Amino acid sequence: MIKITNLEKYYRTEEVETVALNKLSFEVKEGEFVAVMGPSGCGKSTLLNILGLLDDPDAGSFLFNGIEVAKFNERKRADLRKHNIGFVFQSFNLIDELTVFENVELPLIYTGVKASERKKIVEEVLDKMVIMHRRNHYPQQLSGGQQQRVAVARAVVNNPKLILADEPTGNLDSSNGNEVMQLLTDLNEQGTTIIMVTHSEHDARYSHRVIRMLDGQTVMENIMI
Amino acid sequence: MFKNYLKIAWRNIFHHKAYAAINIVGLALGIAACLLILQYVNYELGFDRQHARKENIYRVIQDRYDNGKLSTQWAAGAYAVGSAFKEAFPEIDDYVRLNQAGSQVLRRGNDLIKLENPYFASSSFFKIFSFPLVKGDPATALKEPFTVALSETLAKKLFGSVDVLGKELKVTGDRIYKVTAVYKDMPSQSHMHFEALFSFASFVQLIGPDNNPDNAWNWDGCLTYLLLKPGTDPKKLEKKFMAVVTQKNGESLKQYNADVKYYLQPLTDIHLYSNRMLEAGANGDGKTTYLLMGIAFFVVLIAWINYINLATARAISRAKEVGIRKAVGSQRSQLIGQFLFESALLNAMAVALAFVIILAVVPLFNRLTGQSISIGQLGGGMFWLNFLLLYIAGSFISGIYPALVLSSFKPIVVLKGKLVHTTQGSYLRKGLVVLQFAASLFLLIGTLAVSKQIRYMKKQELGMNIDQTLVIKKPIVVTDSTFLNQLTSFKNSLEGQSGIQKASSSTSVPGEPVGWNAGGIRLLSQPENVAKQYRVIGVDYDYVDMFDLKVKAGRNFSRDFGEKKGVIFNESAANQIGFTKPEDAIGKDIFFWGDTLRIVGVVHNFHQQSLRDAFEPLILRLFPDVRGYISLKVHAADVKGSITKVEKEWNRFFPGNTFEYFFLDEHFNSQYKSDQQFGLVFGIFTTMAIFVACMGLFGLASFTTLQKTKEIGIRKVLGASVNSILKALYQEFAWLILVAFVIATPIAWFAINKWLEGYAFRMRPDTITFVLPLLVILLVALITVSYQTIKAALANPVHSLRTE
Repeated sequence: MIKITNLEKYYRTEEVETVALNKLSFEVKEGEFVAVMGPSGCGKSTLLNILGLLDDPDAGSFLFNGIEVAKFNERKRADLRKHNIGFVFQSFNLIDELTVFENVELPLIYTGVKASERKKIVEEVLDKMVIMHRRNHYPQQLSGGQQQRVAVARAVVNNPKLILADEPTGNLDSSNGNEVMQLLTDLNEQGTTIIMVTHSEHDARYSHRVIRMLDGQTVMENIMI
Repeated sequence: MFKNYLKIAWRNIFHHKAYAAINIVGLALGIAACLLILQYVNYELGFDRQHARKENIYRVIQDRYDNGKLSTQWAAGAYAVGSAFKEAFPEIDDYVRLNQAGSQVLRRGNDLIKLENPYFASSSFFKIFSFPLVKGDPATALKEPFTVALSETLAKKLFGSVDVLGKELKVTGDRIYKVTAVYKDMPSQSHMHFEALFSFASFVQLIGPDNNPDNAWNWDGCLTYLLLKPGTDPKKLEKKFMAVVTQKNGESLKQYNADVKYYLQPLTDIHLYSNRMLEAGANGDGKTTYLLMGIAFFVVLIAWINYINLATARAISRAKEVGIRKAVGSQRSQLIGQFLFESALLNAMAVALAFVIILAVVPLFNRLTGQSISIGQLGGGMFWLNFLLLYIAGSFISGIYPALVLSSFKPIVVLKGKLVHTTQGSYLRKGLVVLQFAASLFLLIGTLAVSKQIRYMKKQELGMNIDQTLVIKKPIVVTDSTFLNQLTSFKNSLEGQSGIQKASSSTSVPGEPVGWNAGGIRLLSQPENVAKQYRVIGVDYDYVDMFDLKVKAGRNFSRDFGEKKGVIFNESAANQIGFTKPEDAIGKDIFFWGDTLRIVGVVHNFHQQSLRDAFEPLILRLFPDVRGYISLKVHAADVKGSITKVEKEWNRFFPGNTFEYFFLDEHFNSQYKSDQQFGLVFGIFTTMAIFVACMGLFGLASFTTLQKTKEIGIRKVLGASVNSILKALYQEFAWLILVAFVIATPIAWFAINKWLEGYAFRMRPDTITFVLPLLVILLVALITVSYQTIKAALANPVHSLRTE
């Protein structure tokens, strides 16, 4: 599903150039659950941003379902993103002015789904995430775990092929964290490919494979049994 | 999609009430001010547009020259102009003559009704102008001598109905006029406001067969309007006028070394761009109208800038939303649409509030501007068009920049909370604040300059004393040939009354244009071709004394010398006739329309009119029994008692005449009414502009101090005092205002001097005119930002640093 080859990314200020990704190459197959680990500043979030088409690489190749997307323009990237990729962030990133229902509904609006159909889909997902009873609440009225469940609901509402999760349990206690990880595992079992950036060895154990990064390069790959 | 935009916009407004209130109230005030002024401007620009053939109607105006130098500018010209031009130029379809009918009264039973501004009009009047007739035939209405057309209101007032064709009216002097038409009252947006129109044929008969208007090239009193054939180029046509004038009147003009140039003035330009001698009524002022338009633009611009500044300053709080929307698939164009939609929503609320404000302040606005804009007129097409244009322009202008800024955020940056305010954005906001305050300073400097000029004009020595002066208008109804004797007796009877110190009669009183303009005047010893024009006031022996005019050379008129043919010149007149030393003029004889008159004195120049006008060459001509105004100097102690006594005497001497009086100082100062109104309107809209700018500044100060919370905390931890922090924060805003001052001052200086050019006597804009507004703005701005800055400076650094 994803194949990156010699991917490079630099961050430049007036005086310093920092290498975020240094000729990084790996592949993720459809249905895989991959965890990316490494110390802060190793480039894992940069990698996730590029995989999510939120950022573009400076060099290298990025094939998504066999299509080269590294040089896609803003419009094409947004288009590909909204149909294929769901995001789960550490800080949930829900829109405070929208209710649970409306937050989850948002990706469907951008993909042009009709209102009646949207309602049905959102309710189904909220049901699945066991958050239906909070559908009319605003994010500030929910606990951290509930907010992250909403974020996962929003990530999956469009039925994406790929979910990118950036430290999804980073702001949660262990009980809520486990719940979220279980949700991701369930999604993966239903066929969704998941790439997750994490610092937590515990969370990484939910994945099939762990890619360990250092200074913008892969240093090790572990297959989880 | 829009439902989602609406939802989020509405909830944003609801969750950030203060921010929304600043924006909505600021925009509403700006829009309301702008719409009101535009309504006023539209009203002023809409004069004389009701006539079907307005594009082809022109008034013939004239400029008179003495020895090649422009001496006077007239709305009215020679009577012969209309017929002569019509005969000479096939481009002219028709013409109409209008001539003031003076003071006229109508009798209704025993009652006398004074007519407001009656005119004689030639028979083509209703053909050329589209004043609809309620009764009568436009083709024949004013054809016959001693016929009259009445306004609908006057007809109803006189007869209680408009079915009055054929009815007879007794006009001043018991002349009988037959009513041949009733016209709808002339609309307020017309430069003509005639209550009654007598046929020009009546005027021809009244002046007698020896005075054929078709040959009258040397009387200036006839308003002539031409109806040109469609497609005629007025500029080309007016170039041909000179040949006709030279042929018909060249000899006479040459004799006096004079010249007259005729021009065509478009009908629709008269109200705003004409302030000439013998206008049909008081006109508006184009310069003022466009200045007000400028103010309207400034006020609304300041409100738009508020929106831009506040929206971009609080971009940080919207950044996460932008990031999320982009992450879930929103295109940038969709985000631009969303933020423009929000701007449109806020602007919609603002225009709704603006409409309510307008409804509430229309009566006050009318009182201030002297306009008569009705709530009904607000429903007019132009109002709604302006309304819509302001809404669309406001939504776009105020919304587009914040939309571009917000939609440009990179999701990876904002979702990580790494968004920092760029220097570029900060400079732009500062630049806009500078622009707002430059506009506010410009308006405030302008307000101060207008008020200083009015004060200057009112405080200037007029060169005469008009205090405690009661003026009575002359009697209209003259019952018999003993009138002159009656007037003298009346005056004498008043001089004997206690409470009345002095009395004098004259053809004009201070505070109004001198209606008598006499040409061909020269020293008896001079050749005819050096004769010039002078303004002339017919006065009695007591005029100079009455007004305390200061005699510079010679003496006042005196009964002791038994003189009846003397004149007194003002300094300008003495100078114009050729004397550099006033005393040289004394005892010299002048030629005045066939009479020889002796110069007995020269008085210092005095302000016959407002200080807008320069001193004119003026002659006081002695007419011992002059018929005109009667001025009385009354004791301050019992003014009311004096008026009662005068009225009693008036009714004894002039039964059947209305007793009309006014106080001369009030009459004189009423010349400044339009200046005062303008000053007041300018002041109010300036205050409004400053208020709106300060609202924006308050909002901006909240965001900038919020951004500086961490910096303030660190400074305090490192030992900074509250004072030093306050100083640093104030300095930042003070600098912006100083930059605004540097920008506004030269522009204001230029504009003030341009405006003052309209005044012959004017104040000199001094340092205070510019520095005082700066200090006021600085003070107001610092007070505005104080709440936020003091709060930030006093905050516990522990809390400030926690914001990290």
